[in-house]
Amino acid sequence: MDNSSEANSSEARRLVDAVISDFPDHKPGTRPVHTLGVGVEGYFVASEVARTYCIAEHFRGQRVPASVRFSNGSGSPVRHDGWSDVRGMATRFRLADGAATDLIAMTLGEFFARTVEEFFEFTKAAQPKPIQKESPWRKILDMLQLKLPLDDPNPGETASAAAGMLDYANRHRFAQLGVFQAAKIGAPVSYARATYHAVHTFVVIAPDGVRRHVRFSWQPVAGVRTTEPDAAKRDDYLHQELKDRLRPRFPARFMLMMTIGEAGDAFDDPTRPWPAKRVRVVMGTLTLTKVAEDQAAAGEHISFNPCRLAHGIEASGDPILHARRDAYEASRELRGGASCPFNRS
Amino acid sequence: MPSGVGWFEGFVDGLPNNRVFKFVASRILVPYWAWRTPVKPLEGGPPPSMQPGDNVQCMMNLIMPLKDKSPIGRALAALAVAQNKDEIFAGLDNVGTVHFARFVIVDNNICMFSVYDGDFTNYIRDFVATIGSVFNNVVALVEKGETVMPCEQNVEAFIEWVHERDMYQVPDLATDLFKDQEAMNGSKAASGNDDLRQLPPRLILQLNANPNVSLGSGYRAYPGYSAAQVRHKLGLGW
Amino acid sequence: MSAPFKEAADVQGNILRGYRKPHVRHLVLEVTDCNAARRWLAACISGRSDGVPQITTEAPWTTKPHTCFNIGLTSEGLRALRAPSLDEFPREFIEGMSARAKKIGDTGPSAPETWPAPFNEPKRVHLIATIYADAIAQLDSVQHHALADGGGLRLLGAFDGQSFPHDLVHFGYRDNISQPRFEGIHDPKGYEDAQPMAPLGTVLLGYETNFEGLMWHVPKDVGHNGSFNAFRVLAQDVAGFDAYLDTAATELLGHPNVDDLLLPGAEATIGHGLSRHAALREVVAANMCGRWRNGVPLALSPDTDKPPHKVALNNFDFVGDSRCPYGSHIRRSNPRGGQIVQRVANHSRRIVRRGMPYGPAYDPAKPDTKERGLLGSFLGANLGAQFEAMSCDWLNLGLHDPRVTGSNDPLVGANEPETSWFDLPLKSGPPIRLRGLPRFVRTRGGAYTFLPSISAIRYLGALTN
Repeated sequence: MDNSSEANSSEARRLVDAVISDFPDHKPGTRPVHTLGVGVEGYFVASEVARTYCIAEHFRGQRVPASVRFSNGSGSPVRHDGWSDVRGMATRFRLADGAATDLIAMTLGEFFARTVEEFFEFTKAAQPKPIQKESPWRKILDMLQLKLPLDDPNPGETASAAAGMLDYANRHRFAQLGVFQAAKIGAPVSYARATYHAVHTFVVIAPDGVRRHVRFSWQPVAGVRTTEPDAAKRDDYLHQELKDRLRPRFPARFMLMMTIGEAGDAFDDPTRPWPAKRVRVVMGTLTLTKVAEDQAAAGEHISFNPCRLAHGIEASGDPILHARRDAYEASRELRGGASCPFNRS
Repeated sequence: MPSGVGWFEGFVDGLPNNRVFKFVASRILVPYWAWRTPVKPLEGGPPPSMQPGDNVQCMMNLIMPLKDKSPIGRALAALAVAQNKDEIFAGLDNVGTVHFARFVIVDNNICMFSVYDGDFTNYIRDFVATIGSVFNNVVALVEKGETVMPCEQNVEAFIEWVHERDMYQVPDLATDLFKDQEAMNGSKAASGNDDLRQLPPRLILQLNANPNVSLGSGYRAYPGYSAAQVRHKLGLGW
Repeated sequence: MSAPFKEAADVQGNILRGYRKPHVRHLVLEVTDCNAARRWLAACISGRSDGVPQITTEAPWTTKPHTCFNIGLTSEGLRALRAPSLDEFPREFIEGMSARAKKIGDTGPSAPETWPAPFNEPKRVHLIATIYADAIAQLDSVQHHALADGGGLRLLGAFDGQSFPHDLVHFGYRDNISQPRFEGIHDPKGYEDAQPMAPLGTVLLGYETNFEGLMWHVPKDVGHNGSFNAFRVLAQDVAGFDAYLDTAATELLGHPNVDDLLLPGAEATIGHGLSRHAALREVVAANMCGRWRNGVPLALSPDTDKPPHKVALNNFDFVGDSRCPYGSHIRRSNPRGGQIVQRVANHSRRIVRRGMPYGPAYDPAKPDTKERGLLGSFLGANLGAQFEAMSCDWLNLGLHDPRVTGSNDPLVGANEPETSWFDLPLKSGPPIRLRGLPRFVRTRGGAYTFLPSISAIRYLGALTN
């Protein structure tokens, strides 16, 4: 037991270091990725059918307080809300007696790697390399071949991981969807106007004992909207936008959609999506009420973990999900985040 | 436009929207590349799968060019469907696996879009058995329809004929286009020497070979249930 | 009785009427020399008694022959013989069984990629010659005569089967009870069968089919009086099946509604001297199949396999209060006149089954891992409309009844334990749902073959192109 936890924690440290290496200007003491974020308070109410699929406490139908942290994917301390980037939404459901269960989601539906080894290879490939604008002659050559010219770098952007990620994806089919979607993901007009996917497969246990493999997604009631790719990019608007939205002005609600997998779907492979033809259950509604006053506690010290799961939800065999458990713990220790006990895991 | 960008760079950036360039691209570049790197048309209908959710609420998108490409021809097609409404509805009820179906005339094509459960050939074959006469009336107005008429005597050929006019469904994941094209060429590589930047040209050339396509497998409000299950759960009898 | 079928002598045997011989051997052959193979075909219908064995036909017997001999050709075989009308054959036959795997459920452990020789090289499987005999020595003798002078054919593999007493098969059921009975061949009054007499077009090309007004295309010169066979080597996991019956019975003993399934004390009416647990095993086995192990159909006798009044094993239909589960094997493969979603399709997907067990009988006292199962031949006039249609929408997926849609056949379906289920109906109230059924049958090989008529064989044997 001791040996494996030591091995896990050293692998976890390596994972954290590998991720940090992709952001050369990373500031120690902050999260390795999704560094910049904002904490928001809200509550979750399950739908009337949620409890027939899962016995977990937050699906029983009562109002459950929730703490949410929205974030930009980058590990750099410099804020560029308007640059194309993955966004994160981490939710803590506060259960009775100080217990909690977390659901961590991001705007990318699929991950880049299936195993920890593949992930290490990916982080190496994704280390930023200097970039320059493509010359106009190169662009013409691309267009003559019916290819799209590469996007111009953002103003002030001198290094980018894009070329490395593209090369990795060209060599590994399983990473193509993640890289393809990440390249064009853009910037949302609001944290509350994006769809967030938990990516990994979980197992929910029904009252009659039936176990189902499922994937969760948060669907915004206000709909998805991204900023115009050609418009000038603003560096800092998402935090204020949430404050304005939650006055309240426009809806800031998310539906928790649970897709039920069938035998043959990828349960342990976070790079493969499930077809849109799978049964989709509405598990409940999350309503955001206000941006937290104490951002130090709600935005920084709070520590989520994808394996902090209430009784009734279990992790699948997904190796990345399991690796994230220790990696998140290692990262939390490094930056001095608040610790929260796991539910008898 | 940010300062410091020369006029030439600006010109090149604007090329994709430039009328002359678009003309050159579609009239000269595409045929050139279609000749240099030929692409076979991909087959229509949903990809085969063993999973139950993939075998219910399947989409059929049928495009049938009319022989008579005039308002009169379109009116004849409209009449052929209208006059057979009872037969069509009886057929749909008794085949039992169709959720929705509609005939649509677009330009000079009579199209049929439907959502059905189970295997495509079973669905068409059961239809031929019940409303073969309606098919004959409609197909008589369609280009090359006479090759499979009367459909009751040419069942297998008729099913192939319908399958050929069912649109290719571009995968929900654009990157799966590589896999479909390779399968068409008979290879089954798992990981490769792809070039994601080739996706736009491959897509353009595929849409040159398959001009009419369905984008993805579509949206479903209640995926995973057959027509009979929905009727059963709603207490409507099946 | 309708007029006797005049062309019986032109049709290969074992299609309309079963031979009921105890031994079978299927020889899987590759054509190595087109002209020599053509001469071989001409020889097997020549009427000579020395040399190549003669094809047995449907012509009525005065005395039953000791051995019977028949052939089937795959699309690759027709191609190797340079048959001119190959492109007139249906798509599924030309593609071949291995290419149709996803449609008919040959996935995972049954996938063609797992098939051993000779079916791992489908392009080389050209001809399957089948010998039926009373004794193994006769099989050897006929095989020797068939392949003696080469004949342009190479033997790729051979599959032997033998019947068990009382028509039993490896899972312990009595099989071969229900077959389509043909107008002009069978006496309608000779056997009590609630199903309508089947038109000849159920199995033969060129005749009225089970679909109103539809005729299958008859390929020129070779199609008429021919039939198609889905030949399959199906390995059965008898140990796994027995283990599942045990698990299910144990689970049921603890179920609150088990008394509705099997009245306390009713175990005396099932089998002989069975404990409650053993009786529940039989109840589960009967529900999964649709018949008790001795062949008595649940539709006629849902509570006991020894009904007080003798029942005609095939004299039933799935109407009214039939307590045969909608998802049971015989109901999925042949819904008879029962209510199904595809209302026009009742009786349209019927097939003729000619199967024989292979491998030694399984002895639970001496468990082994030898391969055993069924050499199945599933005959019909159109593979797509009958065998394939039944396999992909009814056996798997269960589209014929919304109460079982999304589940697979409990005996032969492509089941995954994480998601499989099967409902046991009770006399009243909701059914008891069994879960965790594994796959009991694995496909180990097979091919779509065409069974040409005697005239067609003569035509192929005389080709000179």
